[in-house]
Amino acid sequence: MIATIKAEWRKTRSRPAFLVSSGIIAAITALIYALTWYQATHPGSGDRSGVSLLTLYPDQFVNNVMGAGFPLGAAIAIVLGALVAGSEYSWGTLKTTLTQGPGRLTTWFGRVLAFEAWMGILTVILFVVGAASSVVVASFQGHVIAWPALVDLAKGFGTIWLVFAVNGAIGLALGTLIRNSAAALGTGLIYVLVVEIILVRFIDSLSNGAYKWIGNLFVNQNATALTQSFHSAAFGPSLAPSIGAEQAVLVLFAYFAGLVIIAAALIRQRDVT
Amino acid sequence: MENTTIVETHSLTKRYGSGVLAVNSVDMSVRRGEVYGFLGPNGAGKTTTLRMLVGLIRPTTGTATVAGHAPGSPAGLARIGALIESPGFYPYLSGRENLRVVADMASVSQKRVDEVLDLVELTSRAGRKFGTYSTGMKQRLGVAGALLKDPDLLILDEPSNGLDPQGMAEMRKLIKDIAQGGRTVLLSSHLLGEVEQICDRVGVISGGRLVIQSTVQELLGEKGVVVRAQPSDRAGEVLTRMFGPEAVVREDGFFHLKTDPGQSMEINRQLMASGIGVSELRPFERSLEEVFFQLTGEKQGS
Repeated sequence: MIATIKAEWRKTRSRPAFLVSSGIIAAITALIYALTWYQATHPGSGDRSGVSLLTLYPDQFVNNVMGAGFPLGAAIAIVLGALVAGSEYSWGTLKTTLTQGPGRLTTWFGRVLAFEAWMGILTVILFVVGAASSVVVASFQGHVIAWPALVDLAKGFGTIWLVFAVNGAIGLALGTLIRNSAAALGTGLIYVLVVEIILVRFIDSLSNGAYKWIGNLFVNQNATALTQSFHSAAFGPSLAPSIGAEQAVLVLFAYFAGLVIIAAALIRQRDVT
Repeated sequence: MENTTIVETHSLTKRYGSGVLAVNSVDMSVRRGEVYGFLGPNGAGKTTTLRMLVGLIRPTTGTATVAGHAPGSPAGLARIGALIESPGFYPYLSGRENLRVVADMASVSQKRVDEVLDLVELTSRAGRKFGTYSTGMKQRLGVAGALLKDPDLLILDEPSNGLDPQGMAEMRKLIKDIAQGGRTVLLSSHLLGEVEQICDRVGVISGGRLVIQSTVQELLGEKGVVVRAQPSDRAGEVLTRMFGPEAVVREDGFFHLKTDPGQSMEINRQLMASGIGVSELRPFERSLEEVFFQLTGEKQGS
């Protein structure tokens, strides 16, 4: 397993898609801070002119980066997962890998671990850029720099990592199922950004919401609920999410495990043609 | 069996769904230390068979033993190097970095990467991205990848695919060099000249069936002499007297004699002495191409 992780890491660290997506995450986080800062300091400049400067300071940065983490980061995770799994088929590298000896499941789990390590790095980038941006805003505004409690930082980090991991697993599973990265990432993005939303709205509308519990089992309903649980008075009033944070974590873990195991079964059983 | 045979299959069969029978009850054996040519037209089942031998495809029925183990088992794969169909590498990594990934995967020392790059003469271009390589360089990197484990058995599936004549010659030389170390090479190809020049034994597959397996010499059959002479009836009598009726075949005005071409001078002398005019007398040797087309039922030049 160690040898497989080493090999997976060696090829992943130089992959342009990961480097580009790291840049995109960093740039968009910084951009969100910049635009929000402009809106907060220029009342009446847009729909969100009521945004408070207080949300941009370091003590709120964990709550603030949740918006960049989901759905944007989740979409990036789907794309990366689909690329990682699907391109193994289109480049013919899966057959090279599987004829080296570690075994199909070892190879798959090594790949998942290396991928999830990258999701962790993307989370770190998101947090570092968010923190740095908040320091810049606080410095310019002459506000005292105070950080969130370590436990909140850890919870926030874990939340974004989990959201990235689950959505990455959707991409990985689709890439493995479809054996083509372009079709897999297209399918993944359309599902998460369109199909799931339509389905959940439909299910919630049935019988005065009698089946809302089914809608609450969908993956990104839980991701939304989990990220929205990071909230403070600085952001103004908001509706309490219909799914509790603990339930959301459990559902997302179940999705992650289920997707990785289904893809592992596909890798193990199917012929590599 | 372990000492002499490195690949052994029994009734190896692959059927896709309920329809296509890609490989049909193949019994194949590759001996240690030989270069075995696996010949067949495109779509005959060569790649499917090789994929089954390395565990990429599971057979529908039948069994195989490769390097003493079941196909695809880690212990067996540790002793096999394979280049199946086209070389599969990451286009954004350099040739060297690709081999490092494979070396990590196979738990092989990174030192071995430079050794195999040297062996396939790619050292000077190992820093370039794989995506920028020419077809020949990609094939050579594929062979280098297959050699990383210093395998007992090297399986090369159409290694000359897409190469120009110069590249093919280089590939042939490379395979000959590799085989000189006593390593077993299982080479699939549809290039008859390549197989004839490199291989000790061949197996010919057609329509998923292994139609023959023998040494190249056996396959080409005995050498002979072709004679055209007039009057042909009298020539036939003389030749039959000389070699016996089984050794003389008359076809399209020619006599095909199953005899050593070294007898040509004596044949000419006897025919002349009998007052027979000899208009043509030449040694005869079947080419692998003729044998191949005969065995596979394909039409030559089609």
